[in-house]
Amino acid sequence: MIDFARVQKELQECSRDIEASGIKVATKSDNLARLTGTISGPIGTPYEGGTFQIDINLPDGYPFEPPKMQFATKVWHPNISSQSGAICLDILKDQWSPALTLKTALLSVQALLSAPEPDDPQDAVVAQQYLRDYQTFVGTARYWTETFAKASSLGVEEKVQKLVEMGFPEALARSALESVGGDENLALEKLLSG
Amino acid sequence: MVSDSINASIPSVPKDFGKKKRANRSAKLKQCKLDARREQWLSQGAVKSKGCREELMGPRGLPQQIHEEGRKDPLENLQMRRLGRRVGEDENENGSIHHDFDSDSPSNSPTGSSVLGGNDSGTNFTASISGSSTSGSSVGCCSGCITEEDEEGDDNCLDDWEAMADALAANDDDNKLENHNDDNNPCLELQSSLEHESIVQLDGNLGSYHENLTEDRSVPPRVTPGNSRAWRPDDALRPQSLPNLSKQHSFPNTDRHYGQGVLAWGCVSGVNVPSACPICTEDLDFTDASFRPCSCGFQVCLFCHKKMLELDGRCPNCRELYKNDPVEVEASVLGGSLTLKLARSCSMRS
Repeated sequence: MIDFARVQKELQECSRDIEASGIKVATKSDNLARLTGTISGPIGTPYEGGTFQIDINLPDGYPFEPPKMQFATKVWHPNISSQSGAICLDILKDQWSPALTLKTALLSVQALLSAPEPDDPQDAVVAQQYLRDYQTFVGTARYWTETFAKASSLGVEEKVQKLVEMGFPEALARSALESVGGDENLALEKLLSG
Repeated sequence: MVSDSINASIPSVPKDFGKKKRANRSAKLKQCKLDARREQWLSQGAVKSKGCREELMGPRGLPQQIHEEGRKDPLENLQMRRLGRRVGEDENENGSIHHDFDSDSPSNSPTGSSVLGGNDSGTNFTASISGSSTSGSSVGCCSGCITEEDEEGDDNCLDDWEAMADALAANDDDNKLENHNDDNNPCLELQSSLEHESIVQLDGNLGSYHENLTEDRSVPPRVTPGNSRAWRPDDALRPQSLPNLSKQHSFPNTDRHYGQGVLAWGCVSGVNVPSACPICTEDLDFTDASFRPCSCGFQVCLFCHKKMLELDGRCPNCRELYKNDPVEVEASVLGGSLTLKLARSCSMRS
């Protein structure tokens, strides 16, 4: 059984110093076992400026078992699956300790963003790129951050794609979406009227 | 010497008790004075006791005057009797004098100083914890004396006594600040302070108070070299059981003392002890608070410790394997509860 008293306390603790740590943990629903963590991309990395959502599922044995974490935001990183968002981090597996908390675990994930371990990869393709062509890796990681991890860009690609499928030029669709603040229907109206 | 041990012991007492302690101290002083008066009444004529009373009324002059008075027989008897009790000397030759003391403290028996100390401190803490402002060692006796004093109606000296108690309390506060940092073992210190306190109270010893007050106030004690009434630190015949910081820790434990005093005090202590288990965030009870399963000092509650033993058996803090015998930092202090704790931690492995 999950120790909900502890989870509750951890949530309070997190919300208390949310400004200092930049780590946010929120419940997805009323169920304290399903949470969403939010971390910011470390400055000086290709992830800078991005906001990364992490799905957290607490196993029954929490805090004696590690929380299950995976990125909900797509991220280009040798130790994070570009497909599933699965994270390869020892403290989320065999090195978990009940003295760790959701906040410290998320901090570790944040640290992982700034210190990739390509020798122990989760995503082999990304790791290969990191080792063989670092510049390309940085470019791709930055592009993914811009595309998927910025609040303004969330979901924009899909909307642009829809409008393109309707027959509008991509550049026009993109600028229309931007001018109406991302609302798909308003952008369509604008495109139709303009 | 005596005041040293008292000062060293008091600072670790939690602040909550400051007020009670103060009340206790003034009660002690009062008791001390009343004891002296009582002894004089019992052993001497009313004339002499009246003279002593006038001296006792004097502002701030009490200890020295009592001491001088003590060179005469009644207080000498009183003092010698109490000191004598502690070294197990024959006390019955003064039987007529201390009948009040003994009859009011049923746990007292002339079986040796340390046992007396333990028993009486147990009584003492029960008294002070329950909120009573009378001092502990002779609860019954003391309250009796106070009643007596109330009947007499000469309370005009009390203001001076309370002023003196305030001054002592102020001194104690200073010392508390100084010594606050080094009490990494709060229970141990607490206990030692308890014993100091209790012994001073038990003594009700004019000599002790004499030294204490004079040293605290930087008034040179008016003790002449040939005076043997107040024990000096270098005195060859000085009873071993007089309050002494180094001696306190070696006092044998008595069940009554630990069963009541330490448990209750432990609940209000918690100076360096985390209040909640870092794993389950439940509040640590007294047993948990004194439970140190790992040498790194990381504390967990017994429940979480058990769970971790079932899993990988490593300390969540330092990841070292839990050793078979949990470190019992306060083993020497907790005495009676030690067996219980060991039994519990052993049963976890079976």
